[in-house]
Amino acid sequence: MAYELNEDQQDCLQELINVAMGQASDQLARYLDTFVFLTVPSIDLVSGKGLSDSLETTEESMAMVSQGFFGYEGIRGEALLVYKHEDSDRIGDLLGYEPDELSVEEQLIDISSILTTTFLNVFATQIENQMSYSAPKLISEMQGKLSEHLKQLSFDWDMALKVNINYQVTDYSFNCEMVLLIPEAAIENIKTVIDRILEEY
Amino acid sequence: MSSSVLICDDSNLARKQVLRSLPEQWEVDVQLAKHGLEALDVLRSSAIEVMFLDLTMPELDGVGVLEAIKEEAISVKVFVISADIQPEMQNKVLELGAQAFLRKPINSETLVSTLQEHGIM
Repeated sequence: MAYELNEDQQDCLQELINVAMGQASDQLARYLDTFVFLTVPSIDLVSGKGLSDSLETTEESMAMVSQGFFGYEGIRGEALLVYKHEDSDRIGDLLGYEPDELSVEEQLIDISSILTTTFLNVFATQIENQMSYSAPKLISEMQGKLSEHLKQLSFDWDMALKVNINYQVTDYSFNCEMVLLIPEAAIENIKTVIDRILEEY
Repeated sequence: MSSSVLICDDSNLARKQVLRSLPEQWEVDVQLAKHGLEALDVLRSSAIEVMFLDLTMPELDGVGVLEAIKEEAISVKVFVISADIQPEMQNKVLELGAQAFLRKPINSETLVSTLQEHGIM
């Protein structure tokens, strides 16, 4: 089965993502009282092994919050928020917390929830859908946990649509990457939704 | 007499959304650009009265286009239509000379009332 999006489908998905990304970054900017620099998101097809390999190489320097999302019409996937450890250690300062007031883990989950739910709620509204979420999980610290988690995530798919969005908090040189993974079983469903939007134009 | 309009956005869908939102009674001659560099080429080679400009684009973004317009003193009324709705960004584009900031996705009602507020039609 061909999972690739054609040019119009890719363009449409990218624009839906742009709008969602804009509102998520606005929420993040208000939360941190700063400005978030946005770049054009990328959309690719990735194999389960390819994804695992690409993140394994740098996993020792990363923390990741993973959260599943589920909508109507078989729209589902996993949102990964990837932070460098040097950045995650700085989040408490950004949020104005006193040391020991809130653990780094809780801070990462807080910030990830804002980004993920804002992004996906806006995305869902645009496609006249509604999302529910699993509890966010922090995957970090222990060596090997990241790749293990990715392997678990990909146990039921060989290919996934991978969307990369970069949120760069300029004042603090803080960087967060959002990776959305839409497994192959959901790609056809999202293509159907996109085609419906394209028909209007 | 028709007005010359330029729509600059890297998304085909977004360009269509702007086109579809233009008032029916407004006679326009529309040109399209996929990024900032293409938009500047059009602005430098033909007289454009109104431009609808996206911000987050490859090659040259919308802020870069506004800076070039200011530096080269190009006469054009720019309406920014963007998903980057942070207040700091909205203030920045207005300081750079944009007439108004409109958030994506655009709809006809908002676009028409904004054009009327600015005496475009």
